Amino acid sequence: MEADPVAEPVLKVEGIHTFIGKHHILQGVSFDVYPGKVTVLLGRNGAGKTTTLRSIMGLLSTSQGTILFQNQAIHHMKSFEIARLGIGFVPEDRGLFNLLTVEENFRVAMLQEDEGSHQRLEFILDIFPDLKRFWKAKAGVLSGGQKQMLAIARPLVNRNELLLIDEPSKGLAPIAIEHLIEAILRLKEHTMIILVEQNFYMASRLGDDFHLFDDGRTVHKGQMEELVQNEELKKRYLGISST
Amino acid sequence: MGVTECNYIAMREFRRRVAVGPKPRSWLPKLAVTVIFLLPILLISPKTYITLTISGLAMGMLLFLVSSGFSLIFGFLSVLNLAHGALFAWGAYIGFTAFSFIDKWTGWGGSNLIFSNILIFLLALVAAGIGVAILGVVTERLVIRPVYGSHLFQIFITVGAMTVMEELIRIIWGPNDEPMPVPLSFIGSWDIFDVVVSKYPLIVIVIGLILYLIVYTILRRTRLGMIVRAGVENPEMVQVMGHNIYRYFTGVFAAGSALAAIGGGMWATFVKSIHPAMGGEVIVFALVVAIIGGLGSMTGSMVGALMVGLSYNYVAYLVPKGALGITMLLLVIILSIRPTGLFPEGT
Amino acid sequence: MSKENLNPVQTFRLREKEDRFRNPYFFLRILLLAFFLVTPFLFRSFEILDVVLKIIIFSALVASYDVILGYTGIVSLGHVLYFGIGCYFVGVFMGKLGWTSYSHLTLAFLMAIVISGILSVLIGLFSLRIRAIFFAMVTLAFMEFTFILSSQLRSITGGEDGISFKLPGILAIDFSYGKFLGIEFTGRLISYYFILILSFILFLLMLRFVHSPVGRVLQSIRDNEQRSIALGYRTYLFQVIASSFASCVAAVTGGCFAMWVRYVSPDSSLSVSIMLDVLLMVIVGGMGTLYGGIFGAAFLMVTRAFLPKLQVLIASLLPGVPFAIRLSERWLFYFGLLFIIIVYFFPKGIVGTAQEIIARRKDEDK
Repeated sequence: MEADPVAEPVLKVEGIHTFIGKHHILQGVSFDVYPGKVTVLLGRNGAGKTTTLRSIMGLLSTSQGTILFQNQAIHHMKSFEIARLGIGFVPEDRGLFNLLTVEENFRVAMLQEDEGSHQRLEFILDIFPDLKRFWKAKAGVLSGGQKQMLAIARPLVNRNELLLIDEPSKGLAPIAIEHLIEAILRLKEHTMIILVEQNFYMASRLGDDFHLFDDGRTVHKGQMEELVQNEELKKRYLGISST
Repeated sequence: MGVTECNYIAMREFRRRVAVGPKPRSWLPKLAVTVIFLLPILLISPKTYITLTISGLAMGMLLFLVSSGFSLIFGFLSVLNLAHGALFAWGAYIGFTAFSFIDKWTGWGGSNLIFSNILIFLLALVAAGIGVAILGVVTERLVIRPVYGSHLFQIFITVGAMTVMEELIRIIWGPNDEPMPVPLSFIGSWDIFDVVVSKYPLIVIVIGLILYLIVYTILRRTRLGMIVRAGVENPEMVQVMGHNIYRYFTGVFAAGSALAAIGGGMWATFVKSIHPAMGGEVIVFALVVAIIGGLGSMTGSMVGALMVGLSYNYVAYLVPKGALGITMLLLVIILSIRPTGLFPEGT
Repeated sequence: MSKENLNPVQTFRLREKEDRFRNPYFFLRILLLAFFLVTPFLFRSFEILDVVLKIIIFSALVASYDVILGYTGIVSLGHVLYFGIGCYFVGVFMGKLGWTSYSHLTLAFLMAIVISGILSVLIGLFSLRIRAIFFAMVTLAFMEFTFILSSQLRSITGGEDGISFKLPGILAIDFSYGKFLGIEFTGRLISYYFILILSFILFLLMLRFVHSPVGRVLQSIRDNEQRSIALGYRTYLFQVIASSFASCVAAVTGGCFAMWVRYVSPDSSLSVSIMLDVLLMVIVGGMGTLYGGIFGAAFLMVTRAFLPKLQVLIASLLPGVPFAIRLSERWLFYFGLLFIIIVYFFPKGIVGTAQEIIARRKDEDK
């Protein structure tokens, strides 16, 4: 395995603490994201993975710590400013506008409706042909798998350097998950991805680097191939045991 | 299940999905409006029916203007603005002042020329709209922003704001009722085939329809409207996509307030008077219309307003004291059948 | 029931009961009650007596509103409807129907309670299942509707002018028993004590309700409805119970109010402005604290009585420009501003914020 040349991390998360109301959810989360890689955040339910993504995106404010994107501090910026820097977000509940058509969903996602956005749109519809078929249909009528495709495809109309994806496999049938994995593998070439996933199979297929979360802290990190072999870590932090 | 049954179900499912969105019992609003329109024909003579229908439609338009602002603000910002009635009253008062002012300088209000009448009328309404839009922006920044997210505190603080605004009217213009001037050519009626058709209600209907079409077009055909519709469904997601939703909030609030103001100006001309407490009187109707129509839906406000306006006028003729009762009855019936209102959020 | 066999909840409640008398607030409350008892003797002016009794009546009304708002978490904007029902039953019985006897007065109260209870159950069944803000708006609409109804049904309600009436026997104004400790025992005085005792009983009832097992379930519903449902409670049913209890209490306070002013009209008993007053009192006093109602009522009544005098004073200092005169005349304007400021800075109400500060100090001392 050839080691990649040491590159500068595009996203640096250092020691962030986040409160939701009275609850101290994140108690020191740190990790880096490198260009061209898919970074997977793993951990049990409630470990703080979604909260981390939301903190990066500015939907939750951090009480401590820093988040640097391309060496710019973003932890005190507003969500729309962060989005304009080139970070896209695909939330757990997909965040689709069900009453708007597929076309309108894409148009809202565009920061500007210009040449570049429409070219990227062509490219996206190439990867996700189903969306073209349902172009004028309301997003609410799509199937689960198609909705997930739309949710992931939407932020791609912008020149996004980083894509945050939260549990895309939730509620999907195995074959839809396979389609999703193929689609994300194609995306990998164009944008960095932080993936939060409970489905270990999907995580292992897609991930390059991983970070393990436990009780609001990052406790372990490394290359994905190592984790697949490491039964002890998997059992302790993910509750997975291969029998 | 046999193969043929599978196919049939699959076909139906595919057809359903390709259709433009699932609409639960979409026949209900149409049925309701039809019933309200047609039932009274059985009870009222045709000529009176036409007169009542026109005044009912006019009242409906005015209610639409007031309640659509409230409904849109609630749908988009998720803010309960109980001071909306006060904005309505301010619209009437600013319109009154603008009208008197322009009339003093140009005499257009009292002239016989329809053109100048229309001009002064529209100018007064525009002044009212702009003035209250500004007032709305100030209110949103100072009073509403701190209480985003808590409906309870919105109720508290907007009630306070309503009191302040109403009292400010009393301070600036005095606590008494004032007669509202009406452009000369708007007064009176035409006699068409023995049917008395008042002029002003027709004007209200026309202006109301134009405004509805403008708002509808903006919402449906422009990028701005699209983002607003998206925001009604999921404001957080719109933020995440790089749009400064707070700017849109302020804009929608201003637009909703302007609509209420225009409604206020036209209402005042309709009843030919203004008084400081007029906001409080109309807010209940606006609430009922907004609830019946479905909060957050423009079309819902229109349909609900027409229903309330028409039924009120018909019943007021048939059973004078029962007019208010029919409004309440409508509320109860509609909420029992469809608790979210006739049109769900965002349509 | 030996001490060893109690489960943790029972031990806690037993200790709570014992602590009750050692609570410093307890003495404050006894003091307040004593104050109300001797007010007629302390202040000979009728105006002050009037203000104090209104504080008492509205404290009970606001407390009943707090039961549904602060303890159960239901936002109703039509609570004053039941207050109005209480007013009107007394007014119509005593006034329009001329049934002036003690038993008729009692009957009026009882009927008001029953009708309020039934009405709130009906409204609750219908609207508690819809979204919370809908409920608020629907209750507001109903109250407005009843307001207009009472203005229009002249034959029954006396229309906009309302009904004036007399009270029976020892409660009547012209009744006099003679002097006692330097003041005359008039019907007014007796009404004062009657209403005071009645309100006191109401308050005790509400306290009992709120601290009972039912009351605790209500608080759990307020805090986390989903959880309560998951725990097996039919939240809906409890909300209806709370709502009807609160409305019955409100009806009694309405009856008391009608008794005191001996007059009932739509403006004095069913108007939205009374509802706004209640909202104001709740926000000033704080939600979720029944005693906050006393503070809120006191605040409102005192400022209502005091501000106009202040305004006359200021008006005499300002130039005679109409605008300036009106600026000083409309004390309600400043009141509204004050209200907004209070909501902004003291979202928990004055009493609530004070409690929070005290609790925080206690934490720091530890």
